[in-house]
Amino acid sequence: MRVTVEVVGEETRNVDVAADATYADLARAVGYSPHEVSVMVDGSPVPEDQPVDAGRVRVLRLIKGGSSGATLGPPS
Amino acid sequence: MDDVGPEGQKRLLDSRALVVGAGGLGSPVIQYLAAAGVGRLTIVDDDVVERSNLQRQTVHADADVGRPKVESASAFVADLNPDIDVVTHRTRVTKENVADIVPGHDVVVDASDNFPTRYLLNDFCRLQGVPIAHGAIYKFEGQVTTLVPGGPCYRCLFPEAPEPGTVPDCAATGVLGVLPGTVGCLQATEAVKLLLDAGDPLVGRLLFYDAMDMTFETAPYQRNPECPICGDDHVDSIDGIEYTSACAVGAD
Repeated sequence: MRVTVEVVGEETRNVDVAADATYADLARAVGYSPHEVSVMVDGSPVPEDQPVDAGRVRVLRLIKGGSSGATLGPPS
Repeated sequence: MDDVGPEGQKRLLDSRALVVGAGGLGSPVIQYLAAAGVGRLTIVDDDVVERSNLQRQTVHADADVGRPKVESASAFVADLNPDIDVVTHRTRVTKENVADIVPGHDVVVDASDNFPTRYLLNDFCRLQGVPIAHGAIYKFEGQVTTLVPGGPCYRCLFPEAPEPGTVPDCAATGVLGVLPGTVGCLQATEAVKLLLDAGDPLVGRLLFYDAMDMTFETAPYQRNPECPICGDDHVDSIDGIEYTSACAVGAD
């Protein structure tokens, strides 16, 4: 089936997945481990092991940093 | 300003804000809450100032290297606004001490750098009815959202923390120095709005900031009725939750 995947902060892609694909498979199809994202359908996260049954999803990346961390130089 | 005025200024002066983390995000939060005249600031951090922090942790200076961040931040506030009452805790917020630190505050600003603290604050504050101005950063990107009683919580967005090592962090990859300034100022804005009970806070919306593209994007999210923390059948305490890795809430 074809699913429109909007990765927040990145581009929106149309992805073809197998009929029995899960949301974890969908996350991997756009380059992310299911550990590092939430796949959202209608504003709510869906379990990663659930079969894909939505035509459009939004993928939110989980980011960690805040207080400490190393210096990053200016981009080249 | 008509929306604040003398009454709003007094309201800020009578307010108590807790800032968890006195680093990259915490610095602008502390600076602007102090400048705004928030009467009592509690600052929690267990770290000491390192020279490599100074490109983004703007409440600390070169002479503070080696000094506890809570001491350096407290001195910064005293210089900026001596009318502010500052309370410091040189520690991490943990399951063991959170009940001694959080209660009594009108707002918590989560400027922490790790998932156990983030989930602990979300869970404890929600059960106690304390709002959170949340922020997180990574390389050139930031996320901001506001968590208030009645709205969705952080677990409605990200039900569990990822396993350690599966999500890169700033310590491994670095962060653009000015990025936490932008994101921390957004958190401070939300905290002041909450204290003033003014405006439309970022509830049920995740603001995503990309510094390289200079774009802001907002993703709506909803309260999960099955959320173990804010759902219809939520837990009553954090006693059964481990805040070590995935921060999962047990089934019983």
